[in-house]
Amino acid sequence: MEQQLTELAAKVATLEKSTGMANTVNIEIYYFWATAIMVLIHVGFLAYEMGASRSKNVLASGIKNILAFAFIIPTFYFFGWWIYLAFPNGFIPIADGDAGLPWAMAMGPNLADNASGVFWAAFTLFAATTASIMSGAVIERIKVYGFVILAILLGSVVWILACSWGWHPSGWMLTQLGYHDFGCAGIVHIIAGFFALGVLVNLGSRIGKFNPDGTPNDLPGHNIPMVLIGLMLIIVGFFGFLAACVIFNGGAQWTNIYGQPVTLSAIGFNTLMAFGGGLIGAYVATRDPFWMMSGGLAGIIAAAGGLDLWYPPLAFLLGASSGLTIKLFYDMLTKLGIDDAVGAVAVHGWGGIIGVMAVGIFAAGYPGPGENPGPTLYGQAIGTVVCIVIGFVPGYIASAILNLFGALRVPDDAQLLGLDKTKVPSSAYPESGKAPAATVPAE
Amino acid sequence: MISPIEKWDGAEAYFTFANSPTLLYGVLIASAVFVVFAILYDATHEAGAYKKVANGTTK
Repeated sequence: MEQQLTELAAKVATLEKSTGMANTVNIEIYYFWATAIMVLIHVGFLAYEMGASRSKNVLASGIKNILAFAFIIPTFYFFGWWIYLAFPNGFIPIADGDAGLPWAMAMGPNLADNASGVFWAAFTLFAATTASIMSGAVIERIKVYGFVILAILLGSVVWILACSWGWHPSGWMLTQLGYHDFGCAGIVHIIAGFFALGVLVNLGSRIGKFNPDGTPNDLPGHNIPMVLIGLMLIIVGFFGFLAACVIFNGGAQWTNIYGQPVTLSAIGFNTLMAFGGGLIGAYVATRDPFWMMSGGLAGIIAAAGGLDLWYPPLAFLLGASSGLTIKLFYDMLTKLGIDDAVGAVAVHGWGGIIGVMAVGIFAAGYPGPGENPGPTLYGQAIGTVVCIVIGFVPGYIASAILNLFGALRVPDDAQLLGLDKTKVPSSAYPESGKAPAATVPAE
Repeated sequence: MISPIEKWDGAEAYFTFANSPTLLYGVLIASAVFVVFAILYDATHEAGAYKKVANGTTK
């Protein structure tokens, strides 16, 4: 009997070990593939940005977009992840950040740590997404190296600092304000949108965008179908993004980043409903396929703050409210002389404001995680202001400094010639305008 | 010896140079320097390209 109990205990121990390892590996698998799906956001941004460019600037826009992604990766390794772990209290770093220093034992292959690499990878894709949001707004007249510096500042410093404040289980915006932003409506989208706005103020418009009397002209991109497909790919990638916003606890209920319980079903319901609402809203407002797809994206962003909480028809209406109003916001900025080539400030900045404030209006009173306060209208309003300021101010100041040193705006003669011809050693459409090659008959 | 571990049993951080701070910092600094170099390289390339446009010598 005693021997049987000993054998049973050994079997239970083996089973526990096996289950624990299965949970660990499943967590790795989940974030690894969520990260892979997020790469589709960048496929989408690439297609979107190149399609929205005139044919003389296609490859230059593509290069700029790709480089934003590329430079975020090493810089997020060098200091981005450390910033996230070190600054939840504000501007004074805490010791937890040491695990994110680039020489820490957690920052490379380690058999005792299955989590750091996949979390770092997911956050790196978040960071690259944030930088890519700015990328589309500034096409066809920004110098690449100036843009790369701004992308690094946004993706590997500014955004991740705010993320440590408002999208971290110990961030001060949660612990003091009850800030709730499940899918980063404020932390990614407001910040990226308003950082882009700060840059646009100093960058100026593309030549020909505005007449001498200030009235705007359309500068349509060379391939609108490519823009639409790009936007749809961004939507696909968003499912990876939102999946990575959920914490896989291995054997226990999923939680959001703050520790409140959530289900993937909630995200399934509300993401699709908000997407549909945004599309339909933008169709009603514009009947323009570019704005329809942008509306779908803005719809998800407008519901992102509470995707874990909404009654799905409310997510639909939040999406619709964003789809109905983004073009109005874009037109208002254009009247102010801002040339946002893809409407990024409207889609992400305005959509993000709806997303954060909606939580304060419709989800106030939900319990907070643990001892932390729950969301309130006041907390969400302060959070919105923090995101606007921490986005706009660094974007404005950094671009003003770059402008002072001639590192921001492409000279007018190069803009007129086209950036591809100016500095790209290949052609987007090499056979365009040429007679087709003669067919040699087979002998 | 390059490998930071002698056997897999009980191994934790096993990436190259995990046991050699000098080499680890050296590679880290080299990678950071390359990032800065690439930005400066692009600045030089762009300055030259815009100069050619201004001079009318763009091919």
